[in-house]
Amino acid sequence: MFRPPVKPHYKTISRRKFLQLGGGVATALGAGSVAVGLNSMIVSRPVYAASSEDAKWRQFEGSKLVFMSENTPPSFAIRDNLKEFYDLTGIEVEILTDDLPIVQQKIGIDLRGGQADFQLNYIQDKPIGSPFADFYEDLTKYAQDDTLPQDPDGFEEGAWFENFLRACGEYYEPGRIVAFPYDCAVACTFYRQDLFEQLSPDFEAEYGYRMEFTNDTTWKQVQDFASFFTMLRKDGRTDIPYGYGQHHGTFAWTTHLDIQRMLFSHGSWTEFDIDDKLGSKTPGPTRWGDEQSILMMEKYKALADVSHPDNLANGTLQLNTAYAAGDIAMQVQYHEFAASVEDPSNSRAADGKTAYAPCPKGEQSWVVGDGGVVNGTNCGIGGIGINSAAEEKLKRAAYLFANWSVSKSTQLKVLKELGGTPTRPSVLTEPDVIEARARPSSMPNALTFDAVYDYGIKDPHFVLGPKIPEANEYYNILLTEVQRCVSGDTEPEEACNELKIQIDDLHEV
Amino acid sequence: MKDQLTEAFVSTKAIFRDGGLVIDAPAGARNAALSNRFYFYLMMPAIIVLAAITLYPFFWLIYMSLHTVDLGLADDTWNNLKNWTRLGRDRKFQEGWWLLLKYSSLCMFFEVTLGVMIALILNRSRYEKILVTIFLMPMMMAPVIAGLVWYYMYNSTFGWYHWLMQSLGILGDKSILGSSSTAMIGIVMVDIWQWTPLIILIVLAGLKRVPRDQLEANMVDGAGDIRNFFQVTLPNLYPFLLIAILLRFMDNFRFIDAILVLTGGGPANSTKILPTYLFDVSFSFFKLGRGAAIALTLLAVTIVLGMILVRVFERPSSTRSNSGGT
Repeated sequence: MFRPPVKPHYKTISRRKFLQLGGGVATALGAGSVAVGLNSMIVSRPVYAASSEDAKWRQFEGSKLVFMSENTPPSFAIRDNLKEFYDLTGIEVEILTDDLPIVQQKIGIDLRGGQADFQLNYIQDKPIGSPFADFYEDLTKYAQDDTLPQDPDGFEEGAWFENFLRACGEYYEPGRIVAFPYDCAVACTFYRQDLFEQLSPDFEAEYGYRMEFTNDTTWKQVQDFASFFTMLRKDGRTDIPYGYGQHHGTFAWTTHLDIQRMLFSHGSWTEFDIDDKLGSKTPGPTRWGDEQSILMMEKYKALADVSHPDNLANGTLQLNTAYAAGDIAMQVQYHEFAASVEDPSNSRAADGKTAYAPCPKGEQSWVVGDGGVVNGTNCGIGGIGINSAAEEKLKRAAYLFANWSVSKSTQLKVLKELGGTPTRPSVLTEPDVIEARARPSSMPNALTFDAVYDYGIKDPHFVLGPKIPEANEYYNILLTEVQRCVSGDTEPEEACNELKIQIDDLHEV
Repeated sequence: MKDQLTEAFVSTKAIFRDGGLVIDAPAGARNAALSNRFYFYLMMPAIIVLAAITLYPFFWLIYMSLHTVDLGLADDTWNNLKNWTRLGRDRKFQEGWWLLLKYSSLCMFFEVTLGVMIALILNRSRYEKILVTIFLMPMMMAPVIAGLVWYYMYNSTFGWYHWLMQSLGILGDKSILGSSSTAMIGIVMVDIWQWTPLIILIVLAGLKRVPRDQLEANMVDGAGDIRNFFQVTLPNLYPFLLIAILLRFMDNFRFIDAILVLTGGGPANSTKILPTYLFDVSFSFFKLGRGAAIALTLLAVTIVLGMILVRVFERPSSTRSNSGGT
């Protein structure tokens, strides 16, 4: 049926020729992929202090940079607006995004390799900043360079929200700033105001006080609220399955942040006797295993016992999903999640059902000794920094991007477009933003600003550390022992003592 | 003829004269030696490439295991075998081994048992081709994607599988990954789901090679299906099972993709098999020296267990060949 043509128009090809062609194509593809890969490029022309602002911005026109970042709203919004930066500078920027643990690994390998494939790095304060701080360029020298354009708001501590610059930019060495605050995730309480109002009389009858969230609501009261919801569920008196949920999941830092809030609220307890905001490369013996830590572990476990049963599988995102699905009545969550909670197409907690409050306060009767109580509030402050292994001109070009990405105008745009999390207080003075802080809000994240920017991030409530080079291994040890305790495999005292042994061994104390 | 050739090769002498190698041998043997050398030169590029991508990293791994190679600006320093001595008191390392053996054994047992059973059923089915195609689908998926799919199915808020198990009363409020007592079952199930098809495929290939005459002869002797399976089919399947088990065994010893997505080794380290811990140490804590020491123990045990497995499976075939000769 099918016969080969007698006089074909095509030519036959010998095996040798085929192999030659194949080899040629493979070589060309390989060389091409290397050429157009992550390679950065630098083009520069001389600029002087007296040059125009435009000339300073365009001095590296034609260059190419790579920015490795977490998949947070600012990075998506900035990626969508890269043309604006390109028009301003003529610099092409490739933004690569991934989950934070992956970013941490990729950045670590790049820094260790010394090749500087990613000239710009997303420096999340503890998982990335603490172990890799020495690999980043000191930005103060660029911030004082009059041949580079500078932000009108400046880069000094007062240009940012309280504690932010030190949190993500300063490690172990005072005055050396390796990152500018790029975005932030600050913890606050999300709770179902509709349910709280509806059920408060029943709660008051049972516990003798109103079920409501204020700045003075304590962890002990949260325990009561959670127990109350558990009881209601058993009695079939509410549709909402659980009262509270903790953060655990697969990323160890999540668990650390969750228990740290409770620990710091009681006597401002921290793990090491070091400057919490500066950190230390030699933190010395840990305080785990002392009376306060054991008591807190007991309370944390007691809260876990009346929380969402899938606590240990729920990371931050999954917990928020459970809240948005109507499975829990309250959560301590990062304020960037307000945008998703307030989205009625994805959330049963939208349409004014959710209210926001600072993180719970410590319970005075739970403090061992004479310490005070605070609303322990922690965060992840993501900074943008420059790989010190990059070529000097590349670093200067990278500085232009860092400068632009943290500017007030960029942050405002991100907040309006994708629900960003500003790091400059000047953004909050804009009339649109002031208006959005009350319902109905066009920027849902702004609903949390009272609890977060006006209260939680301020001292004495703000807790950051521990900034230690071994931060990631420390979190991993902590996750294991806390989860063992919460699962009932170990007693709180045993867990804390085990933590003490392993952490001191880690630091060779 | 054969003896003459052997004599020619044996009489070949290589002597050094004036600093050079001179082959003093009969013409046939000399040609053979030249020919061997020619082939050796042809293979040189491949040998060099292989050495570069296997031997160099291997020796580098040994070097790293003897030094402190942390993520820091300091040079690598000799640390008096600290990376090795630390393993003795590293509880996660020891637990990692135990969990790896538990995980591998569970996966292997269920995958081989199910794989052989399904292959036997498929072998007799007239819909064999279409069924095999359907069964192979999970295997086509990247392990990370498989992990993500099951992660969502297991989720207690919206997971279909969780809902099903809960509706059947098998699971309580906790998801399968949410408890340290069930998380291991969760990750083993994903492995079984994805890799049993590989066993099916290999065993099916083996079943096609089982000699019909042996089966028929056994049936003439009065053997039923079960006796036939154990006396004829299974012995003939040994080489195929060996390949399947070795492949899966090696895979399990380096398997982290789906586990990292599903549990990250938790909760409470209940699924932190050794490769997952190795990944943490090397790429999360960036303790590359410690990671190298762990990797070398993994490599050594893999080689030893692999050799034992080969021995175990070689025994029946040699017995067969002996009995066949008598």
